[in-house]
Amino acid sequence: MEKRLKLISRAMQAGMAAVALAGAVTGNLTWVPVAVISLVVSEIPPLLRRDLRLVLPVELNLWIVLALFLHVIGGFSGFYDNLPGWDHLTHAMSSSLIAALGFVTVVALDKYVESIYLPGSFLAFFIVMFTMAMGVSWEVMEYVVDEVTGSNMQYSLSDTMVDLLFDAFAGFLVAAYGAYYLRHTSPDHFVESLQLVEAKAKIEAAIRR
Amino acid sequence: MSTMVKGRDGSGAEVRHHTRTPRRVVEAEASWVACTVLFLCTVYVILDMDVLWSAFGIAALSLYILPIVSKRDPFQALPWEMTLLLSSPIILHISEGSRALSGAVGWWDDFTSLSFALSFATIGFLLTMELHMYTDVRMNRSFSVFFVIMFTVAISGFWQVGEYLSDVLAGTDNISSNSQVMNEFLWATVGGLVMGFVYGAYIKAMPRSRREVLGLIHFWEVPGWKRG
Repeated sequence: MEKRLKLISRAMQAGMAAVALAGAVTGNLTWVPVAVISLVVSEIPPLLRRDLRLVLPVELNLWIVLALFLHVIGGFSGFYDNLPGWDHLTHAMSSSLIAALGFVTVVALDKYVESIYLPGSFLAFFIVMFTMAMGVSWEVMEYVVDEVTGSNMQYSLSDTMVDLLFDAFAGFLVAAYGAYYLRHTSPDHFVESLQLVEAKAKIEAAIRR
Repeated sequence: MSTMVKGRDGSGAEVRHHTRTPRRVVEAEASWVACTVLFLCTVYVILDMDVLWSAFGIAALSLYILPIVSKRDPFQALPWEMTLLLSSPIILHISEGSRALSGAVGWWDDFTSLSFALSFATIGFLLTMELHMYTDVRMNRSFSVFFVIMFTVAISGFWQVGEYLSDVLAGTDNISSNSQVMNEFLWATVGGLVMGFVYGAYIKAMPRSRREVLGLIHFWEVPGWKRG
């Protein structure tokens, strides 16, 4: 199972590399930087794993690569302009990603920070609110950038609102999946599988060196 | 009544937030008196047929009543200054109509536009406090400041989505433009930031003995505590 998932993410990375290459060869450079950056970002979890022994859940790894892949492919093939709803799809992908990373962070905080205790039901509530807050901050950021640089990131009111609806939806989905996940693997086991302690030791060793 | 909190090393620390000490009674009485301000404000906006602010007032009142009802103990009242804080956005909103004030103070109108942003932030403040007073949730100071800010921003996001949905589905006319929504978000963020740091300062400023009386004890202050 894990091997197959790894193969899938390698295939998607190959797709992004192909986009970068094809863009460079044909002189269609708009999406080349995005493809290269996405490729680098998609390599971060494997690098963390190799150098810091920090292990993110396999589903999350796959999700990161998939979100980047859809963004790059959509941009290169013009899906953002031609396929209605493509931007909402990628927006939902990235906001669920933020939600998942937030989930991992608070579960780890709950375990390792003595003064923080967050029971399961509160965790779900927190994830929903966190995702929405991040979505709102994102939209505000787009608005401010548009105002300052005159770019056109926000198309219209309904577009913004559908984005926020997708944020809310993604938050609920990740909260539900997280609750399901923690029911099957205990929170302690889940956090230990991230190997944060090992990663911390590695970093400390690197600093001392 | 008192609760025992078990430390990780097995030692127990007593938290007296159920004990009806004379001080607790005085606190509760002060709280009830202060609650009348919130109550009168809510009555005022209801008589004014101000749907939005009536909703806020009723929500605030229910959050005040909630612990009292769920614990079946009228002495489980919030600190008195909390109810005043809760009524402050309504008072600010009501003062919008005061010609004397806006005539005398030039920037008063701008100030009152903050009232809506502050209303969400005060709810966030109250919720964080109630979570600590009445549930097992424990946050440290920086996390609770973050939570107040995050909650405020998120709830204003849900609010705007709700307004938009009601525009689309029920044909109301709440939102005129995208930039209006963005302005609301920006003000909510400002309100959340203000209230978040006020919360941090408030917890820091309140003497420990008073927090023990109120049951607003953050359990990391009990030596050896982790997970009861």
